[in-house]
Amino acid sequence: MNTHKRMKTARPAESSAAGRIRRGLFLATALVMIVPLSRPGAIAQDRLSGGEIVKKSHERFYYAGNDIRAKVTMNLISKSGKERTRELTMLRLNTGEGGEQKYYMYFHRPADVREITFMVWKYPGKNDDRWIFMPAIKLVRRIAADDRNSSFVGSDFTYEEISGREVSEDTHTLKGTEALNGHPAYRVESVPVDEKGAAYGRKISWIDTATFLPMKEEYYDKRGSLMKVFTADSIEAVQGKATITRRTMANVQNGHRTVVTFAEVQYNIGLKEDIFSERYLRTAPREWVR
Amino acid sequence: MKKITHFSMDHPVLAIAITLLITLLFLFQFPKARIDTDPENMLEADQPERVFYDQVKTDFGIRDMIVLGITDEGGIFRVETLKRIARITDEILKLDGVVVEDVISFSTTDNVTSEDGVLRVNRIMESPPETERDAEIIRAGIYDNPLFVEKIVSKDGRTAALYIPIERKDMSYRISGEIDSLVRKELGKGQTYHIAGLPVAEDTFGVEMFFQMGILAPLTGFVIFLLMFLLFRKGSLLISPMLTAMFSVVWGMGALIGAGFTVHIMSSMIPIFLMPIAVLDSVHILSEFHDRYPTNRDRKRTLLAVYDELYTPMLYTSLTSAVGFASLALADIPPVRVFGIFVAFGILVAWLLTMTFVPASIMLIREEKLIARVATGLRKTGRLNGVLARLGEFSFARRRTVITGAIFLLAAGVWGLTRIVVNDNPVKWFNENHKIRIADRVMNENFGGTYMAYLTVEGSENEVIKRPEVMAYIDSLQEYLEAMDVVGKTSSVADIVGRVGHVLDVDERPGGRVPETREEIGQYLFLFLMSGDPDDLDNVVDYDYRKANIWVQMKRGDNRDMESVERSVHEFTRVNPAPGGIDIRWSGLTHINRVWQELMVKGMMRAVLGGFAVVFVLMMILLRSPVLALISMMPLTFAIVLSYGLLGFIGKDYDMPVAVCSALALGLSIDFAIHFIQRFRRKFMETGDLAATNGYVFREPARAITRNAFVIIFGFLPLMLADLTPYVTVGAFFAMLMAFSTLTTLMLLPALIGSVGFRFIRTDRHVQGNTVNDS
Repeated sequence: MNTHKRMKTARPAESSAAGRIRRGLFLATALVMIVPLSRPGAIAQDRLSGGEIVKKSHERFYYAGNDIRAKVTMNLISKSGKERTRELTMLRLNTGEGGEQKYYMYFHRPADVREITFMVWKYPGKNDDRWIFMPAIKLVRRIAADDRNSSFVGSDFTYEEISGREVSEDTHTLKGTEALNGHPAYRVESVPVDEKGAAYGRKISWIDTATFLPMKEEYYDKRGSLMKVFTADSIEAVQGKATITRRTMANVQNGHRTVVTFAEVQYNIGLKEDIFSERYLRTAPREWVR
Repeated sequence: MKKITHFSMDHPVLAIAITLLITLLFLFQFPKARIDTDPENMLEADQPERVFYDQVKTDFGIRDMIVLGITDEGGIFRVETLKRIARITDEILKLDGVVVEDVISFSTTDNVTSEDGVLRVNRIMESPPETERDAEIIRAGIYDNPLFVEKIVSKDGRTAALYIPIERKDMSYRISGEIDSLVRKELGKGQTYHIAGLPVAEDTFGVEMFFQMGILAPLTGFVIFLLMFLLFRKGSLLISPMLTAMFSVVWGMGALIGAGFTVHIMSSMIPIFLMPIAVLDSVHILSEFHDRYPTNRDRKRTLLAVYDELYTPMLYTSLTSAVGFASLALADIPPVRVFGIFVAFGILVAWLLTMTFVPASIMLIREEKLIARVATGLRKTGRLNGVLARLGEFSFARRRTVITGAIFLLAAGVWGLTRIVVNDNPVKWFNENHKIRIADRVMNENFGGTYMAYLTVEGSENEVIKRPEVMAYIDSLQEYLEAMDVVGKTSSVADIVGRVGHVLDVDERPGGRVPETREEIGQYLFLFLMSGDPDDLDNVVDYDYRKANIWVQMKRGDNRDMESVERSVHEFTRVNPAPGGIDIRWSGLTHINRVWQELMVKGMMRAVLGGFAVVFVLMMILLRSPVLALISMMPLTFAIVLSYGLLGFIGKDYDMPVAVCSALALGLSIDFAIHFIQRFRRKFMETGDLAATNGYVFREPARAITRNAFVIIFGFLPLMLADLTPYVTVGAFFAMLMAFSTLTTLMLLPALIGSVGFRFIRTDRHVQGNTVNDS
């Protein structure tokens, strides 16, 4: 029930200048807390290449901890300001050395999709496997789709942007270090090796030099015009790990945007792999989903 | 007012300088011109139907679309052809102004299929095929999905369609040009393409409009000049009337642009409407001058006599013409109002110039030159004189026959009027073999229809669209619509729910394809969103699930077709009422076109009747007799009834240009009647001899009328060359109206005046300002 309150406070902070400043301050304080933890990375920074920075960033961003549990709220906001809300519990487990991961999602809201469960097995280098359980017809179906093009549950994030794109699929060039919101960040340009294998033509990322979390990303379409902008809006230290607890993906071309808020984040809770199975799709694991 | 004429004759250079100066001022407004070809602007910005349509466009993210059709005679599902289509699509996605994410094509649109219990979400054509087998798989995938057939591929598999939404309407001409050149480069033998879609039509229309105004209007002016030269043979005398016509156009258009109005299809016709009217007055002056000068041999004396004779009829003809057009200000359609007001303004300008500029320029021609040219030209009119004299005698002597014949003709005309079909379709404003018309035909033969209308289903609270009974109602509406011949394809959120049910293999449910619980519908839509883009549903349902939008594609866009579809749906909803709290309402361009057309027909009718009444009152003032006034309305009445009656017999639709022409009839037809009756009356008051008066009016006045008719009937022939049918229609209608009103004036008027009218001319009254009896 406090999710509702959070949603409300998140919204006005979005666009107003005051909100931006407040966010900046919050960010700055959050970063100060985190910086000592990431000292070793900061020392080695001078010799890092673009590719290495992105690789490190992926580890911190997509693979933090061995597992994670979070209450996720997604606000899908249309150009005219109308909202659709999705509220779900997300579980993630890193399962293999090669970067394999498993995701489990249980939807709480909206009402008519309550109890829908969704599972993703992520394989680096090829498309994910996904399963959905639809309680209204008591049916589990596997979905095979292209990660690059399909949106994550109707949001502005593609699957690829939720779970990470293979580092080797782009050529990364470090363009310099510059301050973003008063904090140093690597500016890295990523260009797809194969133009056909990407939904964008070019991506510019600002990666925090201390936390290696992406602070901002600009996606340009194949004509070179700005398409989408990702921003990390608030960062908190959870169990010593810098964690983006609110992020926004805004499609500047159609005015649609998605704000994702993480709450009740816990790392390394000891998830077992058997949860990520058809059985648990039909009956949610009580222990983790409430 | 006569003083200005005298002043202009005394100071010709000054009068001409002032005229030129003012003309220049108006000319300087021209670069500010803004073209407007949006048919939506036929309605006021706050007209309820338009407001609703704007709302629908925002609610459902509807954008203007260019439709590209690619045809391969040997079928498109071949490796080489599909590769070409893929390359073309890639190139189109790189064009500036294309809304990439909403492009519908083989390589950008997802198909959801089911295979061994696995849902597959893939681009219809993930990558171009390498083997014939790949091509066959793509073909099978498309035809398996009913949402695609007749949408992105024709039934016969020879034509593919790409739907290319654009950011702004005014980009469509550029983008369609770029598409045109890149497709042309890519396609080979046996492969053709068509570019359709409303924004293209509108933009093309704008370009052609410039052509019509920039080339056809001056060409028309030139032909009129040639015709007048044929009549009068005096180049130097003709310059001033031609300049008068040109200047009136410049003043009229300059005023319109300067006042901040856009140049709409209607206002683009202003030059073409102004020209004949401006020429009319001058031809009367010239004709009279030409007939009198040889005996007078003094330009100033002749001019004074001519202006004295013509002052009143010219004032009244100009006033009535102006009133006729100003009456259009009563219409509910903004472009029509602007058109009417500025044509009226131009007519008054033409009158003013005829009173000042024309005599001033004639004064500048040297006397010797005039004598040499004009005085020798008399015999040329010999044959015309003979014909007119005989016609005059016939109409006067056999008046009973003439009147009886006229009554029969009028009755036939009225019968024709009852058969008139009110109908319009802006695509048909292009010529039959214009590439836009051809594209329109080809695309409508092969696809679900290019004419869009939307049927919006709106509830009173959020989430209602997910209710099973609402979903089922949408489904039944669509089923009903698709049974109609003119409706090609419909699409809605119910189709998507049905499709998801189909791929989930749960559609063997009894009682139709729509699920029975709200949860099930909600989860289907959720699944659909999970596999596509965030805005995949936007076109068919709003963000709150309070409104749904049924896309109704029609194969014909005539207002008549839209009307019959709307009537049928109204009947359907009467028999099968919508679930509680649900409203359904039409919008979309085809519907908007129907709305403004209805307004236009009613508006024109009202305007013409209003104008008719005002002209009648003016005539009573001028002729001082209701009976004479009624007689003077005959050429106008006959011109309208016979022209429109003929339309009814031929079966030509009563459309926008035809409607506008009725105002022109008001202006032009009364002109002849005024000249004829006014001069008949003056002569009769003077002499009291009926037959002699009739003989008199069939000399100079009848000559002027015939010359005018000749100039206008043939002067507008260049309009027949136009690529835009409104101009062709106007050209043809000018000729018809002129022919009918000339014949009525020269035959029915003498018959009527000879039978009854003369009794209402008071001969005993003293005539003021006696004319020179020099004929």
